[in-house]
Amino acid sequence: MTALVFLVLLMGGVPIAVVLALTAVWYVSETDNTILLSSFSQQMFSGIENYGLLAIPLFMLTGELMNEGGITKRLINAARVFVGGFRGGLAYINLLANMFMAAIIGSAASQIAVMSRAMVPAMEEEGYRREFAAATTAAGGLLSPIIPPSMLFVIYGVLAQLPIGDMFLAGIIPGLILSAVFFLIIALVGLTQDFPAGRWLSRPDATKALIECLPAVLIPVVIVGGIVFGIATPTESAAVASLVAFAIGILVYRDLKLSRLGAMLVRTAQNASLVIFLVAAANVFGWVIIYEALPQKLVGELTALTRDPFVFLLIVNIVLLVIGMVIDGIAALILVTPILLPIAQSEYNIDPFQFGVVICLNLVLGLLTPPVGAGLYITAAMSEAKPIAIFRALTPFLLASMVVLVLLSFIPELTTALIR
Amino acid sequence: MLRKVSAVWARCELVLAALCVVLVSGLILTNVVTRSAAMAIYWIDEAAIYVMIWMTFLAASAAIRTRGGASVTLLAEVVPQRAQRWLRLYVDVVVFIFACAMITFFFWWFDPITLSAMGFDTEAFQGATFNFVYAEPTVTLGIKKAWIWLVMGIFALGACLHATSNLYDSIKGQAAPTDRTQEPS
Repeated sequence: MTALVFLVLLMGGVPIAVVLALTAVWYVSETDNTILLSSFSQQMFSGIENYGLLAIPLFMLTGELMNEGGITKRLINAARVFVGGFRGGLAYINLLANMFMAAIIGSAASQIAVMSRAMVPAMEEEGYRREFAAATTAAGGLLSPIIPPSMLFVIYGVLAQLPIGDMFLAGIIPGLILSAVFFLIIALVGLTQDFPAGRWLSRPDATKALIECLPAVLIPVVIVGGIVFGIATPTESAAVASLVAFAIGILVYRDLKLSRLGAMLVRTAQNASLVIFLVAAANVFGWVIIYEALPQKLVGELTALTRDPFVFLLIVNIVLLVIGMVIDGIAALILVTPILLPIAQSEYNIDPFQFGVVICLNLVLGLLTPPVGAGLYITAAMSEAKPIAIFRALTPFLLASMVVLVLLSFIPELTTALIR
Repeated sequence: MLRKVSAVWARCELVLAALCVVLVSGLILTNVVTRSAAMAIYWIDEAAIYVMIWMTFLAASAAIRTRGGASVTLLAEVVPQRAQRWLRLYVDVVVFIFACAMITFFFWWFDPITLSAMGFDTEAFQGATFNFVYAEPTVTLGIKKAWIWLVMGIFALGACLHATSNLYDSIKGQAAPTDRTQEPS
């Protein structure tokens, strides 16, 4: 009956956090454990009493400050210096700028919104098909939750009780592989479509673009460098990055308007709250998972199917691709991690960092797949292209991402090599 | 009237939540500076976590007013417009039940009626109920944790106000307030 209540609430469009909380209430009442309800609020509260979660509002604030502070155009100009001269240069610029942005923003939906506004009109003006321009931009957004900092990694780290800094390190090689594969896809698409010729910047223009970009590059250096070299925790890196972003926006680029600061702070609070409130609700939903012993029940079914970790990961990938198509990535991550991670670790001896990177990349693909692909619809809205046409143009990128997923599932070292 | 009160209260919640963002940033930056100067302030981490939690519940309550939050919208997108209105009413009823449940749970937890019957003597309250909500201290802040936990009551009240307003609007067939659309992922 609890499962039915869960499904009726979920499919009826009730906010997922409320679905989790009410399902837990139903389950507790049904199993005559109503004494638990008097500690319901406390359980929600304690679910987010976690230092790691502090990184979420701080990274979101940094993203907001950078968006408003004029970083996007500087990053695009800098990307032009490196790849602008190749045939199809603007497509490569798009991807490279997305890599830079991924090292700052941490949220795929925000990144897709920002980059769609900046890149799709520019690419279309140069002669690219609108759908392809939109698809390249949306695919670039997939890098955001993999290249550190990543909101999904912070949440997974909290749920799996792993150091978030190490989780970020685990994402670096997969992020670079995914970027390289996307560059390859663009090159291959270029063989079938007649991409416009690129143009290298003159030496003075290139120098100017690089110098202008230098302060912006400080942000990923602060974030990634601080974590990689163990100077600061991800939370502290995020706080320093937000201060640097603020200083650059106000003092160097002078694009950041103090009058807009209030709106930025409100947006940060709203967006961070959506995510953290989900984690709080998931903590009471944990009662259902623990008392029903869902992982233990699932173990029997899964081990009867296979004892091979790679096959297990493939099965998980297929199931999560379907889940990711209908449920928001963060919500899905919060739902499945407490159920699947114990099985992955205890029964299949899978490294939790490898498991985290695989499921995070998998779930973020749902952002670009119908019927509930928020990223797809954001791109469509920003570029005024039809979602289905963008999806068609996105297909090679999605297929390539699946190949990378299989690769990451097969070779654990790709995620664990950089971890201390 | 209800709609106006809900809107004003949501505005207050969001302003407070935004201030919490500033406070969290300030606290963590202070921590970075004092730690690097070998003068770390021991209570900062705990304070920052609590401020983040206040931000979360204040903004989560405000999100109920704008019907924000990730949800599976598959059904709403395929059903005809008339059915969409019923679906919205259904969601508003469910959220209202959730908000009422949160108020009830908070009252069971803080049990203000028994506390007032005991003359606000928290020790007598503990002895009679074995409920230690007013006794638990914070680890480093030097105050009782009940002050921090109060945000759950504020959240429950705000959620109830916004959910009631939304439900009333749905029944009356008025449009939903929608001043936020972003979705993090």
